[in-house]
Amino acid sequence: MTTNESVEDFVPTSNDRKLPLGPTLLDLAVVTVISIPLQLIATDLTLGGVVAGLAALYVLCVLGLLVTKYAPFYLPSVAWISLVGIVLTLPYMPWFDWFNGLVSGIDFLALAVPPLAYAGLAISKLEIDVMRRSGWKILIVAILVFTGTYVGSAAIAEFMLWVTS
Amino acid sequence: MKAVKALVRLWPIHLIVLVTSIVAQLIGVRAIPIGIGTILLLPLLFVFVFTLLLNPHIIKPIGKIVSTRRVAAASPLIIIAIMPFIAKFGTTIGPSIEEVIQAGPALLLQELGNLGTILLAFPVAIWVFRMGRESIGAVHSIAREPNIAIIADRYGLRSPEGTGVMGVYVMGTLFGTFVFAIIASLFATTGVFSIEALAMACGVGSGSMMAACSGALAAAVPEATDSITALAGASNLLTYATGMYVSLFIALPLVERMYLRIRPNDPDNPRVETREEPVR
Repeated sequence: MTTNESVEDFVPTSNDRKLPLGPTLLDLAVVTVISIPLQLIATDLTLGGVVAGLAALYVLCVLGLLVTKYAPFYLPSVAWISLVGIVLTLPYMPWFDWFNGLVSGIDFLALAVPPLAYAGLAISKLEIDVMRRSGWKILIVAILVFTGTYVGSAAIAEFMLWVTS
Repeated sequence: MKAVKALVRLWPIHLIVLVTSIVAQLIGVRAIPIGIGTILLLPLLFVFVFTLLLNPHIIKPIGKIVSTRRVAAASPLIIIAIMPFIAKFGTTIGPSIEEVIQAGPALLLQELGNLGTILLAFPVAIWVFRMGRESIGAVHSIAREPNIAIIADRYGLRSPEGTGVMGVYVMGTLFGTFVFAIIASLFATTGVFSIEALAMACGVGSGSMMAACSGALAAAVPEATDSITALAGASNLLTYATGMYVSLFIALPLVERMYLRIRPNDPDNPRVETREEPVR
């Protein structure tokens, strides 16, 4: 039995305001610990440097989650976490050198490995069924959709950079 | 206490993630040169393939070791696992804030590039594959969660439009990271666009697609890593804010109108007088 019974249940909802904070922080800690060996492989940092950097990112996530829960208007938690990260690392901040020193050595690509690992495990029967039913035509359309948005955005960005420089 | 219990129950999931991630990270970035450029295979792609192969829904015998009920619990962990990654991206935007502000006009306008989904995919869906109204759901956006919500609200998910958006959603979940890693590395190694423009285009509103895209760019041009992550991160953040509006107010009405013009006699078309009203 899976938790996804029908298409309606399968719709991913963004209810991260209702994420229970306790379990989320615990899961976040587990994910952070999993990242320690990955950072040791990916970077030249010492164990102490890796732990300090990941701990700093953990704190940013916690702050972002708190803002998501108590902010007067809704933004997804990833948006708040990102904003907290931006604000705390602005060059005008008194702690800039210290804090930036903690996180700058962390390898961003290695941080993207655990989420994709969970994503591979989380593929459900329903997703496999949808893929089978949609067939290869939808696959090609999807590839064109992704290529289209990428080339479209890059072309406009390139043009605007050329205009403004 | 309950949280700790859940953690203990899920230890096989976390263990699989730990081991496969380490193996993928040890493999590292692999470059495959092809005629027109280089395709970069990233650890995040390797690990996704590994865990797909350990997924009981895909390889049946695995169910004896990892129950399907347990893997269902992996789903909410994706969003949690991506949080430190997003936080790291934020910390690369802060120090480069002046560069990001300078790129402001380009960053803002490239959001309209998301309409490129229609330009490229709609003609193929309509004229090559002879698809019906599912093409509307399929091509109006890159079909991430907010876009599904829009289609669900307007047409319902059991409609043809719903079938289209769900199809692209699932294909994106399964193959999106590969597609983005491949196009980004090809463009980065052929030099058609500047690395800054390519970085801005990476922010499409999906954490893992941005990761694959900016990762491929950074692997291709390592000395530009800081500005790649800052610009991609800023563009992605912007997409969280604007993406839904671009798809609701521009892309969807546009593709709906194009469809009605090309196929005015499709029996699935809504009646003209109720066109603006969702059928419930």
